Amino acid sequence: MLTLFVLVPLLVLLLLNISWRALPRIVPQAAVLVLGFADVVFGLALPTLPVNSEIPVLSELHFGLVADDLTRVFLVSIGLVICAAAFVNQESMTTERAHRNFCSLLLVSLIGMNGAVLLSDFFSLYVFLEVTAIASFILIAIERGIFAVEGAFRYLLLSAVAAMFMLTGVGLMVFTIGDTTFSAVHESLTIANGSPLLLKMAVGIFIIGLFIKGGLVPFHGWLPGAYSSAPPGVSVLLAGIVTKVSGIYALVRIAQDVLVSDPSLSMILLVAGSASIVVGAIAAIGQSDLKRMLAYSSISQVGYIVIALGAGTELGIVAATFHLFNHAIFKSLLFVDSASVESRLGTTDMGKMGGIGAKMPWTGTTTGIAMLSAAGIPPFSGFWSKLLIVLALWKAGREGFAILAVVASVLTLGYFMVMQHRAFFGKPSTQLDSVKEASAGYVVPAVVFALITVLTGVFFPLLKDSPLSFLLLNKGLSW
Amino acid sequence: MTPTLHILLAICLAPALALVLLLIPSRARSLREALAVVAATANLGLVATTFGQQSRIELPWLGTSFDLSLRVYHTASFVTTAAAGFGLLVTLYSLPFMRKHSAHGAHYALMLLSLGMANGAVFSNNLLLLLFFWEGLLGTTYGMIAIGHAGAFKTATKALIISGITDLCLMLGIALVWAQAHTLTMTNLRLPLEGMAPAAFVLLMIGAISKGGSMPFHSWIPDAAVDAPTPFMAFLPASIEKLLGIYLLSRLALDLFELTPQSWLSTLMMVVGSVTILLAVLMALIQKDYKRLLSFHAVSQVGYMILGIGTAVPIGIVGGLFHMINHAMYKSCLFLTGGAVERQAGSTDLASLGGIGRKMPITFACFIVAAASISGVPPFNGFFSKELVYDGALERGTIFYLVAVAGSFLTAASFLKLGHAAFLGPRDKKNDGVREAPGAMLFPMLVIAGFCIFFGVNNAFPIDQLIVPMLPEHLIAEARSAGTHFSGWPSNPTLVAMTAAALLGALINHGFGVKLYGSGLHAADHIHDSPGLRWVYDRAERRWFDPYELFMRGSAYFAQAANKIDRANDWLVVGLGRLAQFASRGVRAAHTGNTSAYIVWSLIAATFIVIYLGQ
Repeated sequence: MLTLFVLVPLLVLLLLNISWRALPRIVPQAAVLVLGFADVVFGLALPTLPVNSEIPVLSELHFGLVADDLTRVFLVSIGLVICAAAFVNQESMTTERAHRNFCSLLLVSLIGMNGAVLLSDFFSLYVFLEVTAIASFILIAIERGIFAVEGAFRYLLLSAVAAMFMLTGVGLMVFTIGDTTFSAVHESLTIANGSPLLLKMAVGIFIIGLFIKGGLVPFHGWLPGAYSSAPPGVSVLLAGIVTKVSGIYALVRIAQDVLVSDPSLSMILLVAGSASIVVGAIAAIGQSDLKRMLAYSSISQVGYIVIALGAGTELGIVAATFHLFNHAIFKSLLFVDSASVESRLGTTDMGKMGGIGAKMPWTGTTTGIAMLSAAGIPPFSGFWSKLLIVLALWKAGREGFAILAVVASVLTLGYFMVMQHRAFFGKPSTQLDSVKEASAGYVVPAVVFALITVLTGVFFPLLKDSPLSFLLLNKGLSW
Repeated sequence: MTPTLHILLAICLAPALALVLLLIPSRARSLREALAVVAATANLGLVATTFGQQSRIELPWLGTSFDLSLRVYHTASFVTTAAAGFGLLVTLYSLPFMRKHSAHGAHYALMLLSLGMANGAVFSNNLLLLLFFWEGLLGTTYGMIAIGHAGAFKTATKALIISGITDLCLMLGIALVWAQAHTLTMTNLRLPLEGMAPAAFVLLMIGAISKGGSMPFHSWIPDAAVDAPTPFMAFLPASIEKLLGIYLLSRLALDLFELTPQSWLSTLMMVVGSVTILLAVLMALIQKDYKRLLSFHAVSQVGYMILGIGTAVPIGIVGGLFHMINHAMYKSCLFLTGGAVERQAGSTDLASLGGIGRKMPITFACFIVAAASISGVPPFNGFFSKELVYDGALERGTIFYLVAVAGSFLTAASFLKLGHAAFLGPRDKKNDGVREAPGAMLFPMLVIAGFCIFFGVNNAFPIDQLIVPMLPEHLIAEARSAGTHFSGWPSNPTLVAMTAAALLGALINHGFGVKLYGSGLHAADHIHDSPGLRWVYDRAERRWFDPYELFMRGSAYFAQAANKIDRANDWLVVGLGRLAQFASRGVRAAHTGNTSAYIVWSLIAATFIVIYLGQ
């Protein structure tokens, strides 16, 4: 049953490409939206679906499927961001051909991400991450701009390095225990008489690959260029979900199921997380390009997720997952809004904006909401996840990192204030007289995401006992 | 009329009419005035008819121990009747004086409100209820000062802050009483001075003597004398606030606490009283403004009352209470003469007055009677109450007595100076046209001056009928067994001789000063310029000793310090912003776009991770 998450999009992809000349533009668009929406619905309803855990494909390796709360959170996030990306793309893609290609690649990306979050072993995880990555390379460069091609190429190179690490890790796993499923690796690591050091090294090397894919400092070199040079819809997709699935999902999975409460893993995550938080935030302050600033902000926010995992506790994992969900929402929202602005102004240079909040009230307001959520201001959802992160770190005895997280959120507020001040507040200049609110294709997803942020934040105290409690992984935590 | 209705009406009628009065438009000034006079008269009638009644009214409220408890008894009837009498007279006096004032309606409304509050405070039999009315008076005081000239609100604020702080002390004292006795009903209270009770006593005493205008809570009064309308001075600081403050002080000393002459609190009160007498009169002596000079006497004289009650011996207490009513009379009379001079001559600056006694003979006569009373000249009322206070003070310690007599000497000297400077001596040309004040202003002065003489010549009536019944039974019995006579000519001829000597000394001193400087205005300058005192005077004039000014100066330093902290905070925030920008520039510089560099970063970090895991 769960295999349908991969098989159905694959089938749709094939059908669309067999007969695409005959179909009107709306069909691929609708297909992407329906499939994305299906992800959300099935993510919400997953516990009722039957899980077939073993797929006998190769006798040597075991392929299994997982469908726990972590998977559900990711399925919902993937579905939401895919839909937003499709909306934005519908508005921003100029040529028919580019639009159709975009839809097809979006489906490839969907297949890759669905597969990645559903499978329960390192090797197939790697395979589906590569599927996603290949779709991403092409998506970034789809309009063939010089910067986009450069960004895509740099992403490709660093992804190759990442693939090298990941494959090395998988190879070492096969070499030591002959199996790559999460549970098998976990078992071998916990029994004393195996060869835990080498296996641990294998997981560690795999994690290095994940760090590159997730864009953690200092593995982040590819990320700002790729995000900022990509077409608007692709930026939403990349920043909102692709790097999270490629890098962070597997880290959460490892922290939850493989290297549970491992001190050396914790230390690596804490160091990489805090480096990302600080460097990302500091770099964001000085950016003059809106999308580039958002890219650095992504690095910083991913740092928060990773530092929470570094707490090494259940609360830390819950905090990381919840922040990941929130980040997927507000960062997609920010990129959607940047696309709105770009569609009206033709630029993302903040120096040419100023006062557009008055001209584009929906865009300005939703950006403000997303920004406050990102900076951890109550009552928006980001406040709660940051609170959980700080609490998790504090309770785990990592007080220094907790304080760093709090102080750095001031930096977060700082760079977002700089952005609001330069782009949205103030009096609009006379050159912007003709600017109007962006079209519905941008405003609708922005408003929906802003509502999600506000409602999740306001009703957070009720979240634990609601049907949406899977967002907190149903751990029944008390804090 | 039932007692309950009677007493509630006494408290509520005047404030209710005050609200009605505020509704009358300013075109109908006569209507306002008529209403004010009617209300003040009705108020006087209501409280005067409570004389001889004894009743308690309990109105349970919220099921707590905070009952709305009222009590009618001799002391309350006496104090409220006196207050109502002054209220009516000052209302009459205000008719011509306030006629053209812009805050005409507010003045009368606030006066009526004050009367209601004063009645409530005195009839209260519950300390919290008393506090409520006490605070109400604070509000009317603020309002009545603030309606003076344009800058008067500063003085009003000063009065509000000083009285607000002392009322806070009163509140804390009430809380301590509650902690000690678990009741706030005044008739049930009789606290022995042990445990927290002395602290409660001191706090309540601060509230009482501050209302009375004692040092060191006095400093707003001289300022208000200049800034507020003159009827206010005659009404609140000179009479009603004195009555209330000394009323509460006497309740504290006589029944709420078991105060004995052996207690250190008794000595404390006497010290406060003596210091107030001496310092305030020294300040009064050098004033060059009619009303400001009077206001320092309003402070100084309250010292005699505190001294008298603080002695805790019957004769001193009787003297203190008698002095309270006497002071209210002559001091309000003096302020009224000051207002008359102000209205007719257009100034209260002594330098521009002089020689108007002939032009305003009735005012001058009233002034002479009141000034003789305050200086303690027989047979006026002030003489008899001061002699009683001297007697009590001598019983407790010679030093207190000597200070009190020295105060008398200086009081007499300053009034010789004031009378000489204002009413006698050469007359300025511009004062040639000055005429006598209108009848509505003369009438209250004459009535009060008449009472000054009546209470002096026939002192047996006020002392035996009004003052002595205020004392608790055991003190009356104690005095009776000792054979003490309160009324009549003072029993100790030595004290009378000393007083006579002091008054004569003041006269000689005045003559000496006039000879030295050639004018009444400068008759006290040799005291002002005497070595040692001059230094103190100079600083006092610069308000070095005004606790309010010191407090305000302190708060200015505090504000500066807070500002410094704020600036430092700004500096830090701006500095952090700069630092972040600087760091950002560094980080951006590192991102050259060189893919090889990015790969190398990744590989170096990966190496570190592998090494770390391999340990």
